[in-house]
Amino acid sequence: MRKKFIRKLFRQWDESLPEGLQYRAELRQSRRYFLKAVSIIPAAVLVAGCDNSSSVSTTNASQASLSEQAPWNTFSSVQNHLFPEDTQSPGADDINATGYLKSILELPDFDDADKKFMHDGVGWINDISIEMFKHSFHQLNNSNKEEVLQSIVTSNAGDRWLSLILLYIFEALIADPVYGGNTNKVGWQWLEHIPGFPLPPENKRYYLLK
Amino acid sequence: MKDFDVCIIGSGAGGGPVALTLSEAGYSVLVLEKGPWFTEADFFKDELACCRRSVYTPELKDEMHVLEEYDGQNSDGSYKWSSESTLESGSDFWNGNCIGGSSNFMSGYFYRLKPKDFRLRSEFGEINEANVVDWPIDYEAMEPYYTLAETAVGISGKVIPHQYQEPRSTPDFPYPPTIEHAVSGLIDKACRELNMHPLPTPRAILPIAEGDRNGCAYSGFCGSYGCSTGAKGSSRAALLDKAVKTGNCEIRAHAKVYKLVSNQSGQVTNADYFNKDNKKQSVSAKVFVVACQAIETSRLLLASTGPKHPNGLANNSGQVGKNLLFSAGGSGTGEFTYKQFDTELGQAMKQRGPFVNRNLQDWYYIDDKEFGSPAKGGVIDFLFRHPNGISKANREKRDDNGNLVWGKPLKQRLKTVFADTKYLRFEVFNDWLPTDDCFVSLDSSVKDKWGSPVAKIRLGYHDHDLKVGRYLADKSEQVLRQMNASNIRSSVSGSPPPNLVAGGCRFGNDPATSVLNADCQAHDAENLYVTDGSFMPTGGSVPYTWTIYANAFRVADIIKKRL
Repeated sequence: MRKKFIRKLFRQWDESLPEGLQYRAELRQSRRYFLKAVSIIPAAVLVAGCDNSSSVSTTNASQASLSEQAPWNTFSSVQNHLFPEDTQSPGADDINATGYLKSILELPDFDDADKKFMHDGVGWINDISIEMFKHSFHQLNNSNKEEVLQSIVTSNAGDRWLSLILLYIFEALIADPVYGGNTNKVGWQWLEHIPGFPLPPENKRYYLLK
Repeated sequence: MKDFDVCIIGSGAGGGPVALTLSEAGYSVLVLEKGPWFTEADFFKDELACCRRSVYTPELKDEMHVLEEYDGQNSDGSYKWSSESTLESGSDFWNGNCIGGSSNFMSGYFYRLKPKDFRLRSEFGEINEANVVDWPIDYEAMEPYYTLAETAVGISGKVIPHQYQEPRSTPDFPYPPTIEHAVSGLIDKACRELNMHPLPTPRAILPIAEGDRNGCAYSGFCGSYGCSTGAKGSSRAALLDKAVKTGNCEIRAHAKVYKLVSNQSGQVTNADYFNKDNKKQSVSAKVFVVACQAIETSRLLLASTGPKHPNGLANNSGQVGKNLLFSAGGSGTGEFTYKQFDTELGQAMKQRGPFVNRNLQDWYYIDDKEFGSPAKGGVIDFLFRHPNGISKANREKRDDNGNLVWGKPLKQRLKTVFADTKYLRFEVFNDWLPTDDCFVSLDSSVKDKWGSPVAKIRLGYHDHDLKVGRYLADKSEQVLRQMNASNIRSSVSGSPPPNLVAGGCRFGNDPATSVLNADCQAHDAENLYVTDGSFMPTGGSVPYTWTIYANAFRVADIIKKRL
């Protein structure tokens, strides 16, 4: 009757858990899956991924300029493929998903290992893109991008990395605009989501509270 | 000369009543709290702050737990347990770590225990492999303090007589119920059609302003969020702010107590702690009160060895940490599309803010041949799915097979759950039976950032808990079906909810089988009291907070008499 249940804990109790607990588990578990998987990735790719991340220093770069700089061009391409704009709804660019991701990854309180994981994924996805189509991910057409994503999602590591990319898209879509996403509340308007009040002012953003 | 009359470690529901009672009586009180001091001015409806980042809880890299889970059986039939740090697993086991503790972030579903909960062994007999005992006090001893908490904490509700209504010394609550949602009427109708008896759920939420606290603003973002108006009856807003105003209570935030020092006669003399700069500090007092929430209370006592306490403070019978309790049960959901209602009701269903406030206690005691012999049952609470948008979206990123969804299909899913559907949930609360497989000890290798061994928690549960939980979940699903909800599902498991925790220092009359006496005073350290949920030998079938508040007021009166 008794089963292993710790790892199922968050799924089983789902919404009855305090909200934060579900989420932090996902981040941690993603990292763990990823670290188990990195042995299959050429070391040179991982190093390249890290180098790319350190070459970017402007925190306030616009979405447009970010999409031309490595590694943000890769993040941006993945985000726009996962969350494309259409006539009815905003896409990743409309909610400043890449700028948002960059800003939170650069926060001092963002765990170093988690940050490395996010950047390592860029190296990995580009390595697979080049192997499959001879070009980096952001240079591919839509159907080739889809093939790459369908390929990496079959591995635990790829699944978890994309899962986190989606999570941060949702944050950019729905978190308060004070954090840099959800431009002009476009996410709330599309989803007919009424936020709770009072909303956080700039000087009470979460990383300023502790 | 001692620094203070009373030193309280922990500022949540167990610490606040003691601080207020004794500071109002003129005694000097020091409260040491590990976390920061947030106030209403720091609480916003910010999903990232409340629920996406470690703002109200420690970073796991600094402070973690080790969880032991069942991992099969040895050849001799004994259980195998595997252990893993929460830093590795991500199974974060912290609740609120700040002034007021996790009471800042509760939903405030407030229930009293019932008289039979105080004598579970006598009423329902032994259960094999469960350590069920009667309490050393009865309901009548606690009743005045349940009543006191209604006023002191601010509990709103309405008494409706029913077969299991616990005795009350006052006819009704001091505050009328908070405003209710249209769905409450639909629940009432469905329950009555099923010959069930829906009851209004008392809440630790002020519907109107009182003193320095404002009434509820009905933002719709309550549980997991700090309250911006002070309406929620947290230990901080309701009790500690008043305690500080007496001039007799000092609160030190960022004060992490790592050891209670005891002398040759076994008495506690000092609390040693790290301040915000991680500098060691020490403070003396006549009386020490520990209220760090169950797991951390056991951990602190176990770490506090002394000449008369070689195995940890108050642990000469090896009972500290034993018989840890969570809340058993589970939860379920049913869905309504706004289109299934007429225009007016559809609009009312869309409304966010008013509370559902409905529960069923028809099976608090189960007497049903299909179930088996008469048994302790539990409570069913109805509520809406939490309105947090990011987590709502995040649940939609996988299809029924667990595969990630993106592109247009993902966006369609988001639009549906946000704009077309209302999710009504239920939660089942039943007893988490105390067993030898659920306890706290000190981990032998994992340490926190200050170098102290972290709590290791064995998370075994009793199969009887699942049987009761399933019985109640089936009843709950009947209500959702009667309401014409679709996609009804529920889950009952032995997964412990980390926010509903008690036990570990059970009170009792026999020092060989309990840590505390009936006054919640340690059997073998006469100036040490424990006033969080640790004292509970059995948990009852409701969230613990009201009972923790009431008992802490009771023990505060006892301490006042000795001072």
